[in-house]
Amino acid sequence: MENSIEVNGLRKTFGHKSAIKDVSFAVKQGEIFGLLGPSGAGKTTMIKLLTGELVKTAGEIQVQGMPPSKFQTAAFKAQIGILSDNSALYERLTVYDNLKLFCRLYNEPVSRIDEMLIQVNMQEEKKKIVAKLSKGMKQRILLAKALIHRPKLVFLDEPTSALDPGNTAQIHRVLQTLNEAGTTIFLNTHDMEEATVLCDRVAFLHHGSLQELDTPENLRYRYSTHAFHVETFSGNKLVIENNEGGAEEIAKLMKHGCIKSMHTDNPTLGQIFLKVTGKELV
Amino acid sequence: MNVQRIQAIFEKDMKDFMKNTMMFFTPLLPVILAVFYSRLGEGEEMPLMMIYLIVGVTYSAVTSGTMMMLMAEENEKKTLRGLMLSPASFLDIIIGKSLAATLLTVVSLVVSLLIMGIAPLLNAQAIMGLVLLFFFFLFLGIGIGLFVKTVGITTAYLMPIMFLFGFTPMVTFLGFAEDSLTMKIAGAFPLPQLIEMDETHSWLSIGVVALWMLAAALFAFICFKKVKQNE
Ligand SMILES: Nc1ncnc2c1ncn2[C@@H]1O[C@H](COP(=O)(O)OP(=O)(O)OP(=O)(O)O)[C@@H](O)[C@H]1O
Ligand SMILES: [Mg+2]
Repeated sequence: MENSIEVNGLRKTFGHKSAIKDVSFAVKQGEIFGLLGPSGAGKTTMIKLLTGELVKTAGEIQVQGMPPSKFQTAAFKAQIGILSDNSALYERLTVYDNLKLFCRLYNEPVSRIDEMLIQVNMQEEKKKIVAKLSKGMKQRILLAKALIHRPKLVFLDEPTSALDPGNTAQIHRVLQTLNEAGTTIFLNTHDMEEATVLCDRVAFLHHGSLQELDTPENLRYRYSTHAFHVETFSGNKLVIENNEGGAEEIAKLMKHGCIKSMHTDNPTLGQIFLKVTGKELV
Repeated sequence: MNVQRIQAIFEKDMKDFMKNTMMFFTPLLPVILAVFYSRLGEGEEMPLMMIYLIVGVTYSAVTSGTMMMLMAEENEKKTLRGLMLSPASFLDIIIGKSLAATLLTVVSLVVSLLIMGIAPLLNAQAIMGLVLLFFFFLFLGIGIGLFVKTVGITTAYLMPIMFLFGFTPMVTFLGFAEDSLTMKIAGAFPLPQLIEMDETHSWLSIGVVALWMLAAALFAFICFKKVKQNE
């Protein structure tokens, strides 16, 4: 099985509203796949379709080699982990008691709790009541909960939205370590930096349709004007074409030692998204 | 169905319940009432109706009430989704919670009845009636718990259950004529049936209560199917 997820001609409608329109893509085993799109694009709907929380209207889905008819089985659930956008913990219970419940539901030894707390760097909060934790800490516990049964494929729905940089970095570190160990990650985000840092490949989702799918590097190359952005010591900012005329111009500037900095046009994923869809990512 | 998962949910719910100040009061309610009633009639024999009234309060508040609240809270606090995405089945979740509601009911009921005088209920027929009645209230709680979305709303459902099924014997104090339609209908309700059974020893009463229980089970089943369909 080369692909962890395969989707073909997938459609989902809610009444008259089309949330996912004829989408096809595949996620390879072991990659971090990012689904980028603004609010309402259909990202959450996509995860719900891939995890059996919603039933597709049309098309084909295979996740970990299984069709949707198997999505409610224990065999399927043992293979996937989900950190959804509004998951919650039992606020009155301790961190330990929360994780213990899921250890037992997934038939994992309770020793797994300490392992997970170390991974998300929350050992000190083990005996704390969840209600007393910060939002970022709760999110890290939710991540520990999603990973407690060593899933092969993990779905994350905007795992760092509204978190401070410290917590975001912690979560990114956990995800990278996890991925290095071979776990496939499906990440929903509207944070282009997150996608650039983490993802092997990204797909743009806009109004329920897939617009682009490639590695961040390829996309940035493809949507680059390939021009050079030059800043001179006198404070001039020039955009110089990548051609013969441009070469002469740059040579002249270099001869006179005017160049303070120079780089190729390298659009961010956010700028590319705007170019492709005409809409801001956030 | 999986015993380990049911047990995990049961233990989680018990722990959570102990830390929930609002809910923690519920099983104490019948006990406090029992103390109050037994003081009121100091020295006299406790009327059977009063004993069954305590049973009604316990079953409606503790059995139906906690069941509804346990289920509504999972919905309201968005924790249900986490359970549903785990290998635990919906049935595991409901059974685990039912066990928690059962344990709380048994403790609350036994303590209250010991205070009130448990002797009149210590015969096979009465115990059978109590067990059937318990399941009637449990199924009512499950059914409503399946569709209520917030803990606050449960009160709106709990009130009519308490007044209709928990306090039915009180209808005698409302001044209806003995042979009026209201009294006849009220007489067919589960609690008055059990009180009547104490005199008549008729198995018909057990049959009537069993029918009520089956109706409640059907209600819970329909709610279950509806919820599954909406997913
Ligand atoms: N259960 C539902 N019933 C009706 N419409 C729905 C339902 N779920 C989602 N939608 C609609 O489908 C579209 C996609 O929603 P979705 O939640 O998947 O977007 P999203 O990309 O996750 O957005 P966000 O970034 O805000 O989380 C929206 O227009 C939404 O209103
Ligand atoms: Mg979303």
